[in-house]
Amino acid sequence: MTELSRARIRGLMGEVMANQGKVLPDDDAAELREIGFRSLDFSELALRVEDETEEELNFDAPGLRRIATVGDVLDFLAELQRQ
Amino acid sequence: MSDLATRVRPVPPSTVVLVSGGSRGLGLAIVTDLLDAGLKVAAFARTVTPELAKLADAHPERTHVGPVDVTDLAAAQAFVRAAEDRLGPLDGLVNNAAVGQDSLHVHTAAADLARIIETNLTAPLQLTRLAVRRMLAQGRRGRIVNVTSICAQRGFPGLVAYSATKGGMDAATRSLARELGGRMLVNAVAPGFFASEMSAVLGQTQLDQIVRRTPTGQLTEPAEVLPVVRMLLCDQTNINGQVIVVDGAASI
Ligand SMILES: NC(=O)c1ccc[n+]([C@@H]2O[C@H](COP(=O)([O-])OP(=O)(O)OC[C@H]3O[C@@H](n4cnc5c(N)ncnc54)[C@H](OP(=O)(O)O)[C@@H]3O)[C@@H](O)[C@H]2O)c1
Repeated sequence: MTELSRARIRGLMGEVMANQGKVLPDDDAAELREIGFRSLDFSELALRVEDETEEELNFDAPGLRRIATVGDVLDFLAELQRQ
Repeated sequence: MSDLATRVRPVPPSTVVLVSGGSRGLGLAIVTDLLDAGLKVAAFARTVTPELAKLADAHPERTHVGPVDVTDLAAAQAFVRAAEDRLGPLDGLVNNAAVGQDSLHVHTAAADLARIIETNLTAPLQLTRLAVRRMLAQGRRGRIVNVTSICAQRGFPGLVAYSATKGGMDAATRSLARELGGRMLVNAVAPGFFASEMSAVLGQTQLDQIVRRTPTGQLTEPAEVLPVVRMLLCDQTNINGQVIVVDGAASI
């Protein structure tokens, strides 16, 4: 399976936000709540990653609850691809 | 006519009850409560916990326990036979075994979806069929209690497949009560969230939110569900085909 780089995932995250007229800040520490990246946006991003890797990424909700920043999103999806 | 006579004769209290998922949580509490009330109880789960084994040791003549996966119909069948040999004919069933869920529908693996439906919907329907066949074949009358959930009636993210199975069991409860024409009482108990291994996945924020939205200001305790299960199995009421919600009015 092709594994997407963190930078590529960041690019896709930017696209998800741009679709909603929002901008993804460069700072990995930016809080999702402040930038308006909600849990369904996370789902959309995960599905876009799936589309590119052609591999389903399934996960439980508790892991998601720990995600608070842009960096957390990128780490979570990068890690998930490796599982 | 005998049919009419059967109809007006109330269904007697259960005396020998099969409890699925009796190893921990609400199931273990139900087993304990029914034994305390003097009933005979057969209980299984995939693993017999020390707590369940201890109960069986304390009441060897009134208890039959064993490791059974509820999705394994042949194993369930063998367990029921062995339980009846030991305790006498079954006249009560509590469908309590279930698996939880905590994943958004789009991110739930297809295999997990199938497992939730098999454990929480197909298996209890099979177990019910098995129990009803045994009771009917011997002209016995009995009572069935399905443990469902408030999730069958209200929406909760992360619980889509689980909710579907519980809604399915609520619906089956009504149709089975009609189908069995008063020879058996079939009801469901739908608890709100309570602390257990199943609900341990809920975050503190979610628990706080549920408590905030509950007029009684507390999560449901398993001990608060027990009297309802016991009533449905043992008391003479005309309650049949109902889903009784025990959730402190969180859902109204
Ligand atoms: N906790 C809540 O907030 C809540 C709220 C509403 C309704 N409920 C319902 O209440 C009932 C009890 O839940 P609980 O919270 O007490 O859950 P729990 O602590 O997780 O216990 C579930 C029981 O079912 C057994 N079980 C699970 N899969 C099984 C299988 N394939 N075959 C046989 N046994 C199986 C478990 O034992 P093994 O794992 O060893 O098999 C255990 O004994 C369930 O029907 C649940 O849906 C729970």
